[in-house]
Amino acid sequence: MTSMVLDLSEDAREFGHQALRAFEAAGGDQLVQQAEAKPDIRESLIGPILGGLGAWELDPRTDVDGLEAAAALCRSAGYWAVPYPVAERLAAPTDLDVDGLLVVAETRPSAAVAGLESRWAAVTLDGVRSRVTGQGANGPAFVTELQLAALDDQGAADVALALTLPCWTLLGMLDRAIELTVAHVSLRKQFGQTLSAFQSVQFQLTDAEVERSGLDILAKYTLWSVGTGGAEALNDALALRMSAIEAAEVVFRVCHQLHGAVGFCDETTLSWLSRYSQPLRRLPLGLSATRDLLTRSVGGAGLKGLFT
Amino acid sequence: MTLSFDMGAPAAQLRSRLRELVHEHVPDDFLGAFTDDPADLEVAQHFCRTLAEHELLCPAWPKEYGGRGASVWEQTVVREEMWAHHEPRGAQYMGVNWVGPIIMRHGTQEQQRTHLPAIARGDVIWCQGFSEPEAGSDLASLRTTARRDGDSWLVSGQKIWTSYATMAQWCFLLARTTKGEKKQQGLTIFLVPMDDPAIQVRPIRAMLGPHHLNEVFFDDLRVTEADVLGTVDDGWSIVQEVTSFERVGIARYARCERLLVAAPTVLGDRWDDLSTELRGRWVRMLTHCRRARLMAYRIVELQNTGRVRPGDAAAYRIAVTKLDQDSAEVLMDIAAEVSHDDPRAAWFLAEVDDHWKYSQASTVSSGSIEMQRILLSRSLLAAAK
Repeated sequence: MTSMVLDLSEDAREFGHQALRAFEAAGGDQLVQQAEAKPDIRESLIGPILGGLGAWELDPRTDVDGLEAAAALCRSAGYWAVPYPVAERLAAPTDLDVDGLLVVAETRPSAAVAGLESRWAAVTLDGVRSRVTGQGANGPAFVTELQLAALDDQGAADVALALTLPCWTLLGMLDRAIELTVAHVSLRKQFGQTLSAFQSVQFQLTDAEVERSGLDILAKYTLWSVGTGGAEALNDALALRMSAIEAAEVVFRVCHQLHGAVGFCDETTLSWLSRYSQPLRRLPLGLSATRDLLTRSVGGAGLKGLFT
Repeated sequence: MTLSFDMGAPAAQLRSRLRELVHEHVPDDFLGAFTDDPADLEVAQHFCRTLAEHELLCPAWPKEYGGRGASVWEQTVVREEMWAHHEPRGAQYMGVNWVGPIIMRHGTQEQQRTHLPAIARGDVIWCQGFSEPEAGSDLASLRTTARRDGDSWLVSGQKIWTSYATMAQWCFLLARTTKGEKKQQGLTIFLVPMDDPAIQVRPIRAMLGPHHLNEVFFDDLRVTEADVLGTVDDGWSIVQEVTSFERVGIARYARCERLLVAAPTVLGDRWDDLSTELRGRWVRMLTHCRRARLMAYRIVELQNTGRVRPGDAAAYRIAVTKLDQDSAEVLMDIAAEVSHDDPRAAWFLAEVDDHWKYSQASTVSSGSIEMQRILLSRSLLAAAK
């Protein structure tokens, strides 16, 4: 019987570790704070790190090794809340002369690309492609409305990958948020004991970890589905996105609660992770709209599984 | 090695073979072996013997014990298909999943000769004598004692929530033989026949099924060295092993998915008339089924390589038991929309009703969700030290 492989390749995991170290060496948690102060420096701040890692030599569309390495890189970028659309750059279509691909909603197309001069293509969830020709005002977390010039309707095959990779970024954020929270409750004392000694605290942590752990394996499954190019890839990507948004809601709520007031402060990394997770959770569609779209898309056939 | 979530053609063949056997030998309206209809128990007993004839009852066991050394993934397929179809092996899944393997590890040659072929043939039902009125999650606090009487022991006490006790021929009994320094010390496992007159079983009628829960009373049951499994006073280490066999547990996600997938077929054209909100909850549950299944696969793989930690399994158990209950609520809402004229309405409504009732126990039985949370949080916090 075929043996399943349920984790990224050793090479991909090692690439992810290298990326973690490279982001840390370049400033780690300071990167997002520097970029928030000066959004225009995002390219010069992050681009060289990614270039040094060889990120732009990865080919996630036709090379499974490259796909797994790309996912690992996105997760590492999420861990440090790297202020750069790594996943969107890696999802660049091969048939257009652009630097990256943004999945956008049909109304008020937006993306977290403020301050970047990269050449972007945009694609709606049903595959209509445009070229990004301009940006609106800078909003929170580098989100800006996009001005688009229509291209074609040939982008459907690009959507699954472009939805999946940002979920890996969000997963990296959840990894970090839980790590920070476990550390916080292990140190902070109230009533003469660490917060971690309280069972209510322990149980809240498990709510977060179950979500993170479930998202981890679902993200790997979806990456495999996207890589094999099956007809289910888009529904699988939508299902992953729905789960990722749900998981993020649980994890960040628990992590904020257990951090207490200090979790809102700029001196606390959780605060940055939490607010910079927002574009990943709301764009191109939030939870309800993503679920509605998935519901329409699967009809009565459901998702591929044991009985379909 | 890059990611692969494809079990391959042999798994698909095994799955379809099992479905054929279920279709052939198990009535469509079978809801488990523990109903008021004695015919249901006979269905399960017959099905176990049929599986044994096809070498599918204990495929994972070593050949010398009646198995064929099947892979963990074949075992996973069997576990999924059986639970999805209302566990037509009845109570015997316990004998196959953990009683047999534990006896292989710790039993004497005589115990192995007595018990393993009977389990492998599908002839025998076991029950687990662990929980007591004052020892549920805190199992080591149990009060059933085995006191020395010459060369033997006399067992007295009470077990409760003992599944299948009315139909079992053997009990995997945990009793206190010595008062140890710690409560986990001084416990011993005995393999005892249930037909001894010193054992009385009283069924507890419950919504999980009329023959599911029981009380078992031991009134000076005489047991000997030959009945001891492993070492006297060291039963707790065996209990830990039993727990590790149960870590993956039953494939609850498989039945959830089977019923969720059946719903649109049952409703036919009227499926699209359901509110978007309800259909959205339905697809969310399908996603959670997939998530729980993949988490189970991860534990299976970790177990297979000896790397599983209690926290890993606990995360899965929390996810799958919550799935069981969440999906039951969604299915009940869908069932409320089913017309009795719909094709397979009677089958679906009975299945969903049974699923909802049984799911209520999923966060309580085989290690409550609170215990799983304790294991998981310990694991998380220990990793931070």
